[in-house]
Amino acid sequence: MPIGNAQPSVRPVPSGRTDGAAAEAGGRRRGAGSRHLRGGSRAERLAPYVLVAPAILIIVVLRLYPLLLGVNFSFTGDGERNGTTVGIDNYLELLDDSLFRTALGNVGLLVLLLPVAVAIPGLLATFIYLRVPGHRFYRSVYFFPAVLSPVIVGAIFNLLLAFDGPVNAVLGAVGISPVDWLGNPDVAMFVVVGVHIWATFGMALVVFLAGFATLDAALLDAARVDGASLVQVIRHVIIPGLSRTIAFVAVTTMVGMLTSMFGLLYVMTSGGPEGSTYLPEYYIWIQQGQMNRPALASAASTVLFVIMLVVGLLQVKLLRRAGGED
Amino acid sequence: MKQRALWSAVLVVGLATAGCGSASDTSSSSGGSTGKLVVWDWKSGEPSAAAYIDKAKADFATKHPDVTVEFVAQPFDQYYTLLGAAIQSGKGPDVMLFNGGGQIRDRVDALVPLDEYVADDKQRLAGWDAFTKDGKTYAGPVTLQGHPIYYNKELYTKAGLDPASPATTWDKFLADCAAIDKAGAKCFALGNKEGAGIQFWLSALGSGVLTAQEYDDWIAGKRDWNSPNVKRVFQLWKDAGDAGLNNDGANSTAMFNDAFALFQSAKAAHVIGLMSDVGHWKDFNEFLTPDKLGVMSAPVVTAGTTPSLAYDGGIGYAVAKWTKDPKVAADLVRSLTSTEALTAFYAEAGAIASDTTIDVSQAGPAAATIVGQLKSGKPALHVALSSKTLDLMGRVSQQLLSGSISVDEAVKQLAASDQAG
Repeated sequence: MPIGNAQPSVRPVPSGRTDGAAAEAGGRRRGAGSRHLRGGSRAERLAPYVLVAPAILIIVVLRLYPLLLGVNFSFTGDGERNGTTVGIDNYLELLDDSLFRTALGNVGLLVLLLPVAVAIPGLLATFIYLRVPGHRFYRSVYFFPAVLSPVIVGAIFNLLLAFDGPVNAVLGAVGISPVDWLGNPDVAMFVVVGVHIWATFGMALVVFLAGFATLDAALLDAARVDGASLVQVIRHVIIPGLSRTIAFVAVTTMVGMLTSMFGLLYVMTSGGPEGSTYLPEYYIWIQQGQMNRPALASAASTVLFVIMLVVGLLQVKLLRRAGGED
Repeated sequence: MKQRALWSAVLVVGLATAGCGSASDTSSSSGGSTGKLVVWDWKSGEPSAAAYIDKAKADFATKHPDVTVEFVAQPFDQYYTLLGAAIQSGKGPDVMLFNGGGQIRDRVDALVPLDEYVADDKQRLAGWDAFTKDGKTYAGPVTLQGHPIYYNKELYTKAGLDPASPATTWDKFLADCAAIDKAGAKCFALGNKEGAGIQFWLSALGSGVLTAQEYDDWIAGKRDWNSPNVKRVFQLWKDAGDAGLNNDGANSTAMFNDAFALFQSAKAAHVIGLMSDVGHWKDFNEFLTPDKLGVMSAPVVTAGTTPSLAYDGGIGYAVAKWTKDPKVAADLVRSLTSTEALTAFYAEAGAIASDTTIDVSQAGPAAATIVGQLKSGKPALHVALSSKTLDLMGRVSQQLLSGSISVDEAVKQLAASDQAG
């Protein structure tokens, strides 16, 4: 993957400039051979700024400014206190709201389930790579759910997992008592995460297969010649060889779980039962749209933003480290 | 006015940024009496509402021929989110549709009181209370929404019960349910996935549990959550679940429309449904046929209570305070609630309209029973609660069904939420 340390395409400006906006321009590094421009024309000196201006403007006007507005808004009140500054009242209310705590707890649960979400496509990709019988068929079938919208996936599983639905009918046929998959607060979150993994692992699988393409087949052959078992091959050859791919899949899967479960939750559980499947984004939506509490929703958004920032930075670090091992 | 339309478009695509609107500031508009009114709702896009909208537009055109009206149908899922954004920016539609109760009361800061404009309609229309806050009326009611208890007469016959005389006391009702259970059907079709089941339960059965005084106090905002009768409503909810009166998996069954489908397919004998929109007499008539569909009053739980139909104004049109001429906008609201328009709405969309002068005898016995009960009806109990308390009530009702909370604890939490808000 091209990661942003490309050389600047225009001549670097003299060092020592103080313009913060331009300094932000995608973290472009100044080339080592940066030389001072002597008497370059005015237009030439301005060119880099003009060229990065569209990108900066889009980021500042459409991203950073609304973000700051939202943060600012989170310190104002709702309803009768609309527009007045209330300090950190909204944040205190969030802390006090057991529903929001459940939502944050579920974020933690997602982080804990991440290894499973990465291992499933990883294992399946390994089997396809090792050419199990029918691997061509599986390769296309596994990708299929990834093209379905979460609403359709949710509707399908709503039918399958209904109390009187086919899954429970199968369980009943083998003598297991029915499970209220989406009505039992202890299992509902796992079910929704499971469905989410089912619906999205195809994409990760493709990334893994691409990773396998870079794996040195000679290593595998050597391991086989040395009499390594399948588990040993996976443990000592495949996992080290694919560490970059695994880290990349972990990052994208985590981001996917934190930001795109809304559709599934909305269709499958509506945050229930008993509020057990709330995630922060669903909470934000409920507060803003249903409870008419936009300022509280802004506070929750700010908290979610901070969480995402921390998770994102940690993962970028992880990616860098995995990349460095190569 | 162009700017207004632009703004709605801007809001709809979620680009409520200050920069976007400014470019067209200069192209601002016409003014005076000529102009355009923008209406937001979630109804006008439906084919069944076409006749209603046409009639209302025609009526308005005779009063204000120089004003054009544009209906913008929003998806209901997003409606209050979009409206919230419009209210935040102080720009948006001139006239907008609201659900009665909390949804409009939470937003009256953005609305014009209509009392002086709609005085002539007060008698003809019912359901004003749901659009009233602190003595001021903020919308003209279009439909009435309430919670009749529908029952399947065919299942009654199958269970050896008299379909013409459903139970009037709770004990008799439980005995009937036992007979229905033997006949192979559940007593209640209940969908509590959204947490709405408890709201319907509270409102449909409340008049048979709370004394008249308690009922009126509740509506007036003096809610005594420690009253044994209030607790009994929730106890009955739990007992009904524990006794297996509901369909299995009620907490994972969506009321809209899985629970109603259970009732329509005769898997359950009763359902607490609605009067308008969905899950109502017209839907059920289609599946069960009108002569098999009955409407019963709430069984008496507390001796001495007189059960009544719980209903409120269902949806109504309100006028935004940023509209240029509130009188013109209010006239549009009056056209949208004219007898002719509402008759079309009742007939096409299947709604109990707010206009009590409409003749519903064509719609079958269930609709006739409902309309007959309107006079003695009272506002629904759950509508008096804030959206926050209703949201909490949905969750504790699921906990009551699953047995993870006691009735006392549930009522305590609800009392705290109700008194805080």
